[in-house]
Amino acid sequence: MTLGDQGFDTGFDTGFDTGAIISTRDLRKSFTTKGGEVEAVRGVSIDVARGEIFGFLGPNGAGKTTTLRMLTTLLPIGGGTATVAGVDVARRPQEVRKRIGYVSQLGGADDLATGRENLILQGRLYGGERSTVTRRAELLMEILDLTEFADRRVRTYSGGQRRRLDVALGIVHEPEVLFLDEPSTGLDPQNRANLWEHVRNLRSHGTTIFLTTHYLEEADALCDRIMIMDHGRIVVEGTPRELKQQVEGDSVILSLHEVDGALERATTALGLEPHVRKMTSDGFDLRLYVEDGSVALPALLRTLDAVEVAIRSVSLSEPTLDDVFLARTGRSLRDAGAGRQEVRA
Amino acid sequence: MKGLRDIALLFQRYTLQMLRNPVWLFVGFSTPVLYLALFTPLLKNLSHAPGFPSGSVIEVFLPGILSLLAFASGSSMGFSTIFELQSGVIERFRVTPASRFAILIGPILSGLTMMMVFDAVVVAIAVGFGFRVHFVGLLVLALLLALLATLMAAFSTATALLTKDISSFAAIINGINLPILLLAGVLLPISLGPLWMRVLAHFNPLYYLVQASRSLASGSLATAAVWQAFAVLVPMCALVLWWATRVFRKAVA
Repeated sequence: MTLGDQGFDTGFDTGFDTGAIISTRDLRKSFTTKGGEVEAVRGVSIDVARGEIFGFLGPNGAGKTTTLRMLTTLLPIGGGTATVAGVDVARRPQEVRKRIGYVSQLGGADDLATGRENLILQGRLYGGERSTVTRRAELLMEILDLTEFADRRVRTYSGGQRRRLDVALGIVHEPEVLFLDEPSTGLDPQNRANLWEHVRNLRSHGTTIFLTTHYLEEADALCDRIMIMDHGRIVVEGTPRELKQQVEGDSVILSLHEVDGALERATTALGLEPHVRKMTSDGFDLRLYVEDGSVALPALLRTLDAVEVAIRSVSLSEPTLDDVFLARTGRSLRDAGAGRQEVRA
Repeated sequence: MKGLRDIALLFQRYTLQMLRNPVWLFVGFSTPVLYLALFTPLLKNLSHAPGFPSGSVIEVFLPGILSLLAFASGSSMGFSTIFELQSGVIERFRVTPASRFAILIGPILSGLTMMMVFDAVVVAIAVGFGFRVHFVGLLVLALLLALLATLMAAFSTATALLTKDISSFAAIINGINLPILLLAGVLLPISLGPLWMRVLAHFNPLYYLVQASRSLASGSLATAAVWQAFAVLVPMCALVLWWATRVFRKAVA
């Protein structure tokens, strides 16, 4: 694939000496709702290096989308500063728009137009000449495996095809940064893996990718660096590997036989165990955090045996990003967002 | 110029979308035809009633239909805005460097063009019912219809962007439309009504269009009704377009 210069005017050069292609300081946003003032983003400072896949992880309502919408000029910045591709977002949104691509959760392709028509219009809105844009559309459809459907109306596309077209629409003008808002929501695992492949491919050709997700697997598998957000604040930042290393030890998951009193007896006894640092329960499933699973496990089993609690299954797991979130916030990422909606203006 | 190019591109896009939607085309054509076919016969015996303007029924009624079409096609614009808001199309355009005014006016101009085609069809049918065509008068009328339709379309689009969901948008637009329609003398001349209605009507932009349309359709260009319509509609249209562009730039989230 060649994403070479195809004649798009990206405006003037501003110099990117800092190395960060996205940089925010104390970014804030609040909304006035019926219930009063809601602070959706409360002082977010990020530096994203050129050429990385940067993931913004967090439960629904954490403020990920709001942050993304400020960076993409869709929402006025509430407070603090943001620079994208060397341009101040608040002062010169029009210059930012020329340099970025954005794929929203909704996509937004025209159903009644063909994939090709969508791409050509999009390229032309970015100022590309018809002949240039036509060639570019051809190339993008090839790269994203859409050539076969190029002249079909988008209405007939499958979920995966549609998402790939959305991505193509986001990069038709060869942006320096591509913003993806929950890119794999609604995709089956196969299409998700396929999309990740395309995203990595884009990165390998120099595009910086900034994505939001609430899928741990996505953040883990795809992102070079992630930031976990909760209640409008940054909880933690680093490579997925670094973050998981911060959570010391392993976790042991014990599924108890569902007998009255078993849970109480087990938690009381295990609570006295020196190996157990922390314990959470979900029904009759107990999750115990221990320093070294292989050492602790025999002792834990003996303890349960002593209080006559039978177990159905035992498993040992290394830390996940969910554990990172749990360790920092005391809640599980999988449950944290349930029943809440992302705040939008 | 970049702005003009953006307008042309978004005009083309919207027109293509409409042409590919056969249901919409069918409704667009059938509405005015139904008015003509099902309402004109009812008016036949009314033309001798006191207060009814001079001229044949079709000559009084057709300009009203054209005004009504302009009003309706303009104020329904917001429904497609809501749809495009919810399907992410508007957000996609707002992230591009395309001119905000172009994003607003492209679809409006496309809607106007299609309205003119429907109007031409209605006039052609009305000729079959005995309508006499005053060519210059109709051209000037086309201008006034375009002004009102643009005014309403910009208002409707901005309202849609601010309300964001179909039910509150529909409630607001219907709430506004009904009094405007009733106080405009579209279907029956307002001159048939009591004094308070005639006074109230003077605060209604559609009323001026309907008055001017009757004058223009009968071929009288230099009447008070015609210049009053321009004097009301031109500044109102400019004001609403300015406001709607501002909404596009800022209030959309």
